[in-house]
Amino acid sequence: MAKKPQLAIDTRPWRDTANNKPFVRIRNVSKKFGDIIAVDDVSLDIYKSELFCLLGGSGSGKSTLLRMLAGFENPTSGAIEIDGQDMTAVPPYDRPVNMMFQSYALFPHMSVEQNIAYGLKRDGLPRAEINARVEELLALVKLGDYGKRKPHQLSGGQRQRVALARALAKRPKLLLLDEPLGALDKKLREETQFELVKIQESLGVTFIVVTHDQEEAMTLATRIGVMNQGEIVMVGEPTDIYEFPNSRFVANFIGSANMVEGVVSEDEPDHIRIRSSELGCDIYVGHGVDCAPEQRLWWAIRPEKMVLSREKPAGLNGANVATGIVEEIAYLGDISVYQIALESGKRLRVSQTNSVRGNPDAITWEETVYVSWDEDAGSVLTS
Amino acid sequence: MRRGWFLPIAAALGFSFLYAPIVSLVIFSFNESSLVTVWSGFSTKWYGALFSDPQLLGAAWLSLQIAALSASIALVLGTLAAVALVRFRRFRGRTLFAGMVSAPLVMPDVITGLSLLLLFVAMEGFLGWPQGRGMLTIVIAHATFCTAYVCVVVQSRLSDFDRSLEEAAMDLGASPVRTFFDVTLPIIAPALVSGWLLGFTLSLDDLVIASFVSGPGSSTLPMVIFSKVRLGVSPDVNALATIIIGIVALGVLAATIVQLRSKPKNRQV
Amino acid sequence: MTTARDPTIPPPRRLKPWNAVERGLARVGITGRMLVLIAPLLWLLVFFLVPLAVVFGISLTSKQFGRPPYTPLLTSEDGMVQLTLHLNNYIRLFTDNLYVAAYLSSIRIAAIATIITLLVGYPMAYAIARAPDRWRNILLMLVVLPFFTSFLLRVYALTGFMRGNGVINQFLGLFGVEPLVMMQTDFAVYVGIVYTYLPFMILPLYTTLVKLDVSLFEASADLGARPIHTFLFVTLPLSLPGIIAGSMLVFIPAIGEFVIPSLLGGPETLMIGRVLWDEFFSATNWPRASAVAVAMLVVVVVPIMLLQRAQGAVVEK
Repeated sequence: MAKKPQLAIDTRPWRDTANNKPFVRIRNVSKKFGDIIAVDDVSLDIYKSELFCLLGGSGSGKSTLLRMLAGFENPTSGAIEIDGQDMTAVPPYDRPVNMMFQSYALFPHMSVEQNIAYGLKRDGLPRAEINARVEELLALVKLGDYGKRKPHQLSGGQRQRVALARALAKRPKLLLLDEPLGALDKKLREETQFELVKIQESLGVTFIVVTHDQEEAMTLATRIGVMNQGEIVMVGEPTDIYEFPNSRFVANFIGSANMVEGVVSEDEPDHIRIRSSELGCDIYVGHGVDCAPEQRLWWAIRPEKMVLSREKPAGLNGANVATGIVEEIAYLGDISVYQIALESGKRLRVSQTNSVRGNPDAITWEETVYVSWDEDAGSVLTS
Repeated sequence: MRRGWFLPIAAALGFSFLYAPIVSLVIFSFNESSLVTVWSGFSTKWYGALFSDPQLLGAAWLSLQIAALSASIALVLGTLAAVALVRFRRFRGRTLFAGMVSAPLVMPDVITGLSLLLLFVAMEGFLGWPQGRGMLTIVIAHATFCTAYVCVVVQSRLSDFDRSLEEAAMDLGASPVRTFFDVTLPIIAPALVSGWLLGFTLSLDDLVIASFVSGPGSSTLPMVIFSKVRLGVSPDVNALATIIIGIVALGVLAATIVQLRSKPKNRQV
Repeated sequence: MTTARDPTIPPPRRLKPWNAVERGLARVGITGRMLVLIAPLLWLLVFFLVPLAVVFGISLTSKQFGRPPYTPLLTSEDGMVQLTLHLNNYIRLFTDNLYVAAYLSSIRIAAIATIITLLVGYPMAYAIARAPDRWRNILLMLVVLPFFTSFLLRVYALTGFMRGNGVINQFLGLFGVEPLVMMQTDFAVYVGIVYTYLPFMILPLYTTLVKLDVSLFEASADLGARPIHTFLFVTLPLSLPGIIAGSMLVFIPAIGEFVIPSLLGGPETLMIGRVLWDEFFSATNWPRASAVAVAMLVVVVVPIMLLQRAQGAVVEK
């Protein structure tokens, strides 16, 4: 049994860039199709045994970037380095990279075993070794008895596992996954997410996953790179992305956020105060922010970071308390999401866990409530 | 969809129109007398006459050989041309190439036949080859125009082809050539077979071009039939027609059954 | 027992002899692409393009006895090379009524036949496209089957049908109708062309029609259009590429048809394909036949270009 590989998730090499060399270096890579810029000057460092997610909507450039890593597109400018070797001009069949395709791309005229063995045959491995490796992989993806079947005889989930096994067969340095869970139904997706992480951790292979599903990214990734219109807008660990977004785009893209516009009224090294007519009250932020007095900026707060109450809470320095009427309640079982209409017309979304079963005293429609939050509960965004 | 009366009737009429003459051919091939008018009794004597006619049999054999050769040559050329047209983005002379490949589809046979004959004659004069005209020249001529048809069939299949399969093969270490033989070719194989059959049929059926480029002693089946038929109705030709129709019908039927059976519900390629 | 291979070192790539050849050729500038192109390109150049040039060249010579039966273009005498062009073939084309009439008649006959084929083929294609899935393949097979039986034999079958004492007249005779003269007429040629070229019209039409989005018709009906209007204003315009493709596939070869006018037409049925044949085989006037061919090509080029453009549209759709 191979010794457990050192995982990026444990060592977090990106926090110490001085002493850690990245495994994949994407440097100033751009890709143009005629006049359309699909990828715009992207630079990214990915470390060994990371499970890195490229997250973005359609047209964000994430798939194009992935294809450039695989070798199916050539960058218009910039360089791609994998494990210290420049890969920019290397064709896909010569790269130590394998890809799991969105459509799985299983060869319909070959059986499951033949599909998995294909890459190994191209390497010229002896037959005994190929057979052993194929068996190993079938066991890994739990398809041991399905070796002789053809792709059209498998279910969607099974095909996905064959595609994964085939991509892992050659023990690539880098595995690229293009929307690997997109075609699966919700339940299967959740199960497969955990399996995928388990496999990655047991093998220690570096994964780069492209997805548009933020939940997926949050579950799978050691780090996430959020892409928008060909650019990387933020790179960070899931907690960073969620709790400390660097822009309105990221705040809105991941999870939901209440976005409030305001003007800086106090700018001190240890706190700032934002005056917001939308909110009908001031916002007190308990740390210094790089801004200037009278500057217009935005403040984002997640629904679960706010508290609802019938009595007016104390607030903080006369701020951080807003009031409004409950307009809508979405009961989701574990939580309820309240839509509060403020006097200015702005609507806030606040979520509360339903910790008391069948609470007769629960806040209900048309009630006037107070919404309050901590000094560090929201993010100040200048872009 | 509402079902009117017009469409089914129009379609039925159309199909009857298509098949009526053929059906009458078949029926009268069993006619005792040599007239196509009066049915005088069931007889298979025309089939007998057919098989004891050496000229006809010789011509049939020659046509079959020519058809097989031409179809095979056309298959290779047509597939290569289709690959070039579908896969290569832009190359110098692409329009010319595309034009040359598809022109034989619509070029009147007489022009194709005449031009090739004149070429062969001129070549013979300058190069000494080809010497005289015969099977070789017919094969060359047929291969040329069959290539166009093969190319159309393969082109249409290739442009529908799921490229991610080829990318997957390359990703796993197969060079482009290897990918073509391992993945692309097996999957488009039915189109290749269709193309070959199409070329075979067209070659077997060609009269005009063969008339131009054939030589003494190399009369193809259509040429023999034509000379017989010019003079009027010929019952042994009826018999021959019936046999050919029978073979073709069986072939097409078999092909359709194979296709329908091998197509599972969720074929996604 | 799997051999433990360090996953960070890629396995050695075995250089097959093929790779060496590939690299060697690449150095000379011959890429894989060119290898694919070269065979069909050369073949078509030699056996398609050059022959057309030869036809053009010979159309500028005159008939002469001997082998080959035409005057040479280039002659060399006393170290001088002389190019002799005879224009009399072309002059005759324009002055002799026969040729002009034959061209016009061919175009006329081909055009009328194409229109008839369209009228017959469109409903059939439409019916097949609207048919339930299971039936579609069978119906298509039925359309294509006659095409695979010999063209010659089918035309021959038509003669049996249309003769003075043929099947149709026999049938009409049952009702006491006088036998119609159908053979050796323009009418027979129309029937012949429609009969043999019908599959060529139906298939492109079917391809276009089957790709049409049914919800377009439903939207049209929803907006108040009666079926005939939906057909005229929605179906017909959208099926135009198929109509053009199918029509060109019938019209262009029909102009140069030989077998059909020869077996079904009369001495009055002038078609240029037959004229060419007669010039070549009966009159052994190769240069004249070549000139006829060149003129035919010119007549046919414009429709061919139309077809290329329509094919592009059909492929897009």
